[in-house]
Amino acid sequence: MKKIRWQGLITFVVLLLFVIGAWFLFVDVAIKKTIESKGAELVKAKVELADADFSIFPLGLSLTGLEVANPDAPMTNAFQVDRVALSLEGAKLLRRKVVFKEMTLEGVKLNTPRKTSGAISETLSRIPVVSKEPSEEKVKWPSFKIPDAKEILQKEKLQSLELIASFREDLQKEKEKWQSRLAKLPDKNKLGEYQKKIDRLKSGKQRGIEGILGGASEVLTLRKELSRDLNLIKTAQKELGQNMTSLRKRMAEVKKAPQEDVHRLKEKYSPSPEGMANASRLFFGKKVGNWTDTFLNWYKKLGPILERVKERKHGREVVKPTRGKGVDVRFKEQEAYPDFLIRIAHVAIEIPAGLVKGQVRNITPDQDILGVPLMYEVAGVNLTGLASLKIDGSLNHVDPSSAKDTANVLIRGYDISDMDLSSDAELPIVLKRATADLEARVTIAGETLKANSLTSLQSVNMGTPNEEETNSLMKALTSAISDMKAFDLKAEISGTIQDYDLKLSSNLDNVLKDAVKKQVKAQAVQFEKRLKSVIQEKVGGSMADLETSLGGLGSIDSELKARSHFGDELFKRSRESGSGGMKLPL
Amino acid sequence: MLRAIAKLLKVLNSETEPGQISLALCFSMIVGFTPLFSLHNFAVFLLVLVLRVNLSTFILGLILFSGVAYLLDPIFHWIGLAVLTSSGLEGLWTAFYNMTLLRLAKFNNSIVMGSFLFSMVLFVPLYFIANKMIMQYREHVLAWVQKTRIMQAFKATKLYNVFATYSRLRGGV
Repeated sequence: MKKIRWQGLITFVVLLLFVIGAWFLFVDVAIKKTIESKGAELVKAKVELADADFSIFPLGLSLTGLEVANPDAPMTNAFQVDRVALSLEGAKLLRRKVVFKEMTLEGVKLNTPRKTSGAISETLSRIPVVSKEPSEEKVKWPSFKIPDAKEILQKEKLQSLELIASFREDLQKEKEKWQSRLAKLPDKNKLGEYQKKIDRLKSGKQRGIEGILGGASEVLTLRKELSRDLNLIKTAQKELGQNMTSLRKRMAEVKKAPQEDVHRLKEKYSPSPEGMANASRLFFGKKVGNWTDTFLNWYKKLGPILERVKERKHGREVVKPTRGKGVDVRFKEQEAYPDFLIRIAHVAIEIPAGLVKGQVRNITPDQDILGVPLMYEVAGVNLTGLASLKIDGSLNHVDPSSAKDTANVLIRGYDISDMDLSSDAELPIVLKRATADLEARVTIAGETLKANSLTSLQSVNMGTPNEEETNSLMKALTSAISDMKAFDLKAEISGTIQDYDLKLSSNLDNVLKDAVKKQVKAQAVQFEKRLKSVIQEKVGGSMADLETSLGGLGSIDSELKARSHFGDELFKRSRESGSGGMKLPL
Repeated sequence: MLRAIAKLLKVLNSETEPGQISLALCFSMIVGFTPLFSLHNFAVFLLVLVLRVNLSTFILGLILFSGVAYLLDPIFHWIGLAVLTSSGLEGLWTAFYNMTLLRLAKFNNSIVMGSFLFSMVLFVPLYFIANKMIMQYREHVLAWVQKTRIMQAFKATKLYNVFATYSRLRGGV
């Protein structure tokens, strides 16, 4: 029996041709579907492609009608591209390397409307970025109304009242303590007994040596006892004196407390021109915050394009293939090359002001293999309302452990018109016209974000729609805003790409602060007076009670003084007393 | 499905050499276990068509082994990764990695390598075991099966009618 069937060879060739034919027939559809599904996975919104055309001669790919929906605004395309032309390097393709020599993006438009929603799923929402400043709710216009002092006292605790209560309690305890101690000390009766004894000894006539010696001994005993009791009184008097000094000090502090309350509440509630120091944040904070959030959300979506997730197993680098089956193990290549690379992409973006053209080089998720970072630069061409625009920078992930991405933005002569700076009902402000120059630099190193920008606005025309302002303070503010012809705005962003701080400062803040200073000062004085009177009303009575209680301790002191004085007198007399008028050598 | 089972029975009961059936089964194991559009499978297809192996068995085997491959994927991955990351073989794999043809064969994928090695190791044993079983079946089971009441009953079924019709049309048994 024959072992070979030659017709099988023909069948194989036919089958092979059939497979190749089918591949050619369906490759365009397959590419279209792959771009749509992978793109949607990356962007978290619909990615649609009108047509894909793969050609062998010349080897390349042409995509038409690419629309990428904005995940945050599904009825808008983040961008759309009329045509993308890509030319492939065939030799590299045989080594499973998709290397595009050149990519040209024609007719790129941003933020175009969509007919259908571009949302793909509720769960695939945008990655949240926590910023601390952008929300307008967090930064409010300072209120220049004089607050109601009585209303303030209803919600605020007065420290003076707390001090009074605590002092009153301590005073009461002291009073009780001293009253009890006074009761235990030798009183007038006891001292009276000493007096009687002294009188008796003075008038008494002892006979003989025994009598004289007996009298002397009695005098000695009396004087010992009197001295001991006198000591007790004097010690108590001294201690009370010390306590009184300390209590008087506290009383002085308590007396000062209402003034401190006034000061504290004035600081907290008084209208102050310092509130205007936040004006730039109020005017531009929300806008700059929103721009930063949008930028960071798109930056995060670019992550997989910049850096592939690489694992190491058994010491070898493994890369998860796209279809998710098994892993591809990498080995050292004689000529190392990234799996995917676009050497140069020519971009032409149509913006309302005109055309922005530029180049992006080295687009690859394997920068560590290529050894060169992604570089980009775009510049405006014949723009209207914008003298010049230049953006350049690099996304450097050559060493993934110290990745650093930078962007430099330079804008000159940007005409601004009718920009709402504040929608606050009290003081709506519109930047009617201005010309802005901006220089900004953004650096993202790993997760750390640092950005700073300086915007200079010239030929400024600002105003408020409320032309007939009656409030003198608002009038001053409106006038200052209208007189302003130029100002600078500095923005500093620091933190991480997940949670950043935005600091805005401008000479606008000082101008507005100075404008309202005088009016605000007068209001503050008025508020302070009212506050003082309301606080005094509240603490006045309690303060008088304290004085009385402290006076109560004073009467104990007087009593001690009287006893001490009486005791001293007795002691003197006891020294004069002796046996039969004879002085004792004591 | 009935037609496929009928075909298999026909092949087993026919005069086709056991070697042709066994070889078809072994080739179908390679194609079934490894990812279908791998480069080496084109070579296997060529061999299947050029060598006189039984095509019906190959197609049935392909369906069977493709199904089993899904269950064995974790084992293939484990084998492939162990082999590809073995330090002793690093030089060989590096040389292969730098050869265009082998890069196209995607040998560095853990599933491709694991499933290919697994089927290559089983290739020869499967050939001899299948051969032996087919011969045993024909010698001992076939005559006995034909006489059993179940087979008699089976001959009266629609399935058997399909099988018989198919055989007649192909000029077989």
